[in-house]
Amino acid sequence: MIGFSIFGIAVNAIRANKLRSSLTLLGIVFGMVSIMTIISALEGMTNSIKAEIGRLGPSTFMVAKMMITTSREDYFKKIKRKSIDLKSADLITNECNLCEKVSPRTFAQARIKYGSEYIRDGRIMAGTYNLIDIIDIEVAQGRFHSMEDDLHRSQVVLIGDGVKEKLFSGIDPIGKTLRVGSKKYTIIGIAKKLGPMFGQERDNFVVMPLSTYGAHFGQTRRGLNIVIKALSVEKLEDAMDEVRLLLRSQRGVAYDEEDDFDMMTADIFLELLNSITRVFRIALIGVSSISIVVGGIVVMNVMMVAVSERTREIGIRKAIGAKRRHILLQFLFESLILTSSGGLVGMVIGHLLAKFLVGMIDMNISPSALAIIAGLSISMGTGLVFGIYPALKAAKLDPIKALSFE
Amino acid sequence: MALIETKDIWRTYDMGHEKVHALRGVSIVIEKGEYVAIMGPSGSGKSTLMNLIGCLDTPSKGEYYLNSKAVNTLDDNELANIRNREIGFVFQTFNLLPRATSLHNVELPLIYNGTSTQERIVKAKEALAKVDLADRITHKPNELSGGERQRVAIARALVNNPSLILADEPTGNLDSKTSEEIMKLFDRLHSQGNTIITVTHEQSVASHAHRIISLFDGAVASDKRIN
Ligand SMILES: Nc1ncnc2c1ncn2[C@@H]1O[C@H](COP(=O)(O)OP(=O)(O)OP(=O)(O)O)[C@@H](O)[C@H]1O
Ligand SMILES: [Mg+2]
Repeated sequence: MIGFSIFGIAVNAIRANKLRSSLTLLGIVFGMVSIMTIISALEGMTNSIKAEIGRLGPSTFMVAKMMITTSREDYFKKIKRKSIDLKSADLITNECNLCEKVSPRTFAQARIKYGSEYIRDGRIMAGTYNLIDIIDIEVAQGRFHSMEDDLHRSQVVLIGDGVKEKLFSGIDPIGKTLRVGSKKYTIIGIAKKLGPMFGQERDNFVVMPLSTYGAHFGQTRRGLNIVIKALSVEKLEDAMDEVRLLLRSQRGVAYDEEDDFDMMTADIFLELLNSITRVFRIALIGVSSISIVVGGIVVMNVMMVAVSERTREIGIRKAIGAKRRHILLQFLFESLILTSSGGLVGMVIGHLLAKFLVGMIDMNISPSALAIIAGLSISMGTGLVFGIYPALKAAKLDPIKALSFE
Repeated sequence: MALIETKDIWRTYDMGHEKVHALRGVSIVIEKGEYVAIMGPSGSGKSTLMNLIGCLDTPSKGEYYLNSKAVNTLDDNELANIRNREIGFVFQTFNLLPRATSLHNVELPLIYNGTSTQERIVKAKEALAKVDLADRITHKPNELSGGERQRVAIARALVNNPSLILADEPTGNLDSKTSEEIMKLFDRLHSQGNTIITVTHEQSVASHAHRIISLFDGAVASDKRIN
């Protein structure tokens, strides 16, 4: 009850000094803007990536000779590994009991051309007929290639929405023949639009049978990337172990050596992503915290001035029965109100700024609960840390001395 | 038991190179319902004694009992409680919050003992009515005359129904006509049963009291009953 009344006193004091109060806020506002922009942008970015990876499905994992390299040494070590080839894929298909679907695939880049129009760096994905069941591409029109196409090395492709838009405006692409590199392929299907991410166009691709690709383009240096779907989420670990054992014995890895291939689930990838962005986050937030500290020092300064300006007021309050804690609370409330309103304003501006920045690279962000809680506690914490000293100073004033203060 | 009893109280200021004895062994007894004037030359220790009686300060030596409570043993919070509930202070310079209305200035002591907002307003209006300022509740100090300001301060001193009203030169900043009004107000409050102690330089003000204690050089020089 007394606390409420004292809060009211603090609000009135701030309102009586609007200009000074708002100037005091600025430091905190700027600090909060930078923190919020960074947190929101990072959150938004990881969320988009997560959503992307999440589409792989929780029971799916990938095997390849190398997937992620953490250093140059790592890269040179891994690039020397034996490629994963169709024999490995066949082995897993035949022997792995806990694997529901096994689909080897590979990637390359080439020019995609129809008539006089072309896409220079078109993406080629080559896989077996069941790839469509595992990956996130969906058929919008037509069909994906079949087991027969795989067997006969049919020269057929499913095209991405971007290819349709760029090369076939106003024409139905199904049944048309386009060139990928130097060879000709008949279009049998069109994929659903994926949309760009981080400013990267993701719809300029074609998918063809892996056998056709092998005949036309040969082996890639990185070898195959096998996408495997386990029987269930619960069986994921066991399925991975099964595949690991199969591959180790096939590739002749001694029992005391480590795997000569990479395996990856959506979870592992997410963890990796988190550990990368964590460092970023800490560094960036560390930098912008400096502006918060500067803002805090401004608040402290203003509060020190307020305490000495209002010494007489403090004396009067004490003379009529205010306790130390009442005075402490009054001034602490003032700095808390200042910093948290500054924090709120900064959070709103920071969020809008992040939205604007991130919007330029085709990403959506929403204020995360984490960012809001972090922002509020940082600004309140600043108010507390930098407000406590002036408030204590006020609380400790001797009433007689304070009353005779000129 | 008396309302106020001081036993050989001293107040010494340690100035580093020398010690200033503002009070040197003051022993006085004041009963409930008395109207006392404290007089004496400048620097004789009147304000120091008032601050001690008003629990704004504690003696360097000696005992002070207010309502039988040994004030010299109390801590900061307990002193604040006594100032809030038992004592109404009136200062020479009024000491009102400059930006607050009369009503808010008067309700201030009630805030610190947790009185509800509605009750605060009722009591503050009552206190302002007692000093004939019912029609000035929304005025701020700079919109009031000196006499009115002092009456707001007196209303603030009255609002908690204290056992004791202390006034340190309450008319020091007022002209003689306004002073007389304030003294009439004190007479009225005294006749309603309030205990009043006032410091003054002026004989005309002291003559309203029923007892005059004179200080000289930090000690009681005389203690006479008048009227
Ligand atoms: N904070 C202090 N530090 C040092 N000495 C002080 C302090 N306060 C008062 N004194 C000294 O104590 C003595 C008594 O002061 P006090 O204010 O009680 O006098 P007073 O009787 O009220 O005088 P006046 O009539 O001028 O108000 C004076 O000599 C003064 O200088
Ligand atoms: Mg004095």
